[in-house]
Amino acid sequence: MFSLPALLYLSALLFSVGTYGVLARRNILVVLMSLELMLNAVNIALVSFGRVHALTAFAGEHGGQIFTLMVLAVAAAEAAIGLSLLLVIWRRWNTIDLRQLCRLNG
Amino acid sequence: MSPGIEQLFFGIAAVVATVSSLLVVTRRNPIYSAMFLIVMFAAVSVIFMLLDATFLGFMQLLVYAGAIMVLYLFVIMLINPREGDLPEESGVTEKSFAAGVALLIFSLLSFAISHSNEVERLSSLGPIPLIPEVSASHGTIRAFGLELFQKHLLVFELTSVLVLVGIIGAVHLASRGRKDRTTASSEAREGMVNPDV
Repeated sequence: MFSLPALLYLSALLFSVGTYGVLARRNILVVLMSLELMLNAVNIALVSFGRVHALTAFAGEHGGQIFTLMVLAVAAAEAAIGLSLLLVIWRRWNTIDLRQLCRLNG
Repeated sequence: MSPGIEQLFFGIAAVVATVSSLLVVTRRNPIYSAMFLIVMFAAVSVIFMLLDATFLGFMQLLVYAGAIMVLYLFVIMLINPREGDLPEESGVTEKSFAAGVALLIFSLLSFAISHSNEVERLSSLGPIPLIPEVSASHGTIRAFGLELFQKHLLVFELTSVLVLVGIIGAVHLASRGRKDRTTASSEAREGMVNPDV
C-alpha cells in the first residue's frame, strides 16, 4: 500500500480535486486555496520520486526535497501577491466573485 | 518503526488528505475551506515524514499551515464577507464540466502511472520505507542544509530574489489600495464638512 504508485495516485487525485476547485468555484479565495492544493499534490510526487531516487539522482540525495522547498517559496510568494491583488479588487469593486471580473477595463 | 505501522499511518493520512481536499473545494464559506486546507496540509506533512523527509514535513507545517494559512485567514477577516457577499456558486452544467475536466486529468495521470515502465521498475524493488536504504541522517536538517548550501546554492539565492519580488509586489499593491481609500475618505469628510460651512 505504501509504495510509489500509491503515492503517485494520491498526488494525481489531489491535483484533480484542485483542478475541479479552480474551474468550478467563483470565490477567488477558494480558487487560490485550490491552487495551493495543486501545488501540494505536486510536492507529494516530487518528494516520493526524490525518495526512491535518493541514491542515484544527479541532483543529490535530497534533490526532490530541495525542489519541494523551492515550490514552497513559490507558493508563499504566489499567496502574498494573489491575496494583495484580492484585497485591491475587494476595495475597488467590493466583490470576490470571479465572474464579475470578466471585464478588463476599469 | 515497523512497515505495518507505516502503511497504517500512510493510509490514514491519504484518506484524511483526500476527504479534506474534497471538503475544501465544496464548502461555501471560505473559513471552512481554510480550516479543511490546514487539515490537508497536516496530512501531507505526515506523508513527508513517512518518506524520511522530516525537515520538509516540519517546513510544510510551519510555512503552509503556520504562515500561508494565517495570511488567508487575515484576508478573510479583513474582507469579512457576509452571507450576501459570497458569490453565487456555479450551476450544474459548469460544475459537471469542471468535474469532467478533473476526471479526465485524473484518468490520464492514472493511465500514465500504471503504464510507466520506470514506475513499475522502481516499485518492483519493494515498498518505499525499505528501499533504497538511506543513511539515518537522510532528511534531517543537517544533511538537508549541507546539501542545499553546497550543491544548490545558486537556486537558493534565486529563490530569495523571487521572495523579495513577492514582498515588494505585495506591499506595493496593498499600500496603493490604502492610499485610494484614504483619499476617498478625506473627500467624503470634506463633503460632510462643507455643507455645514
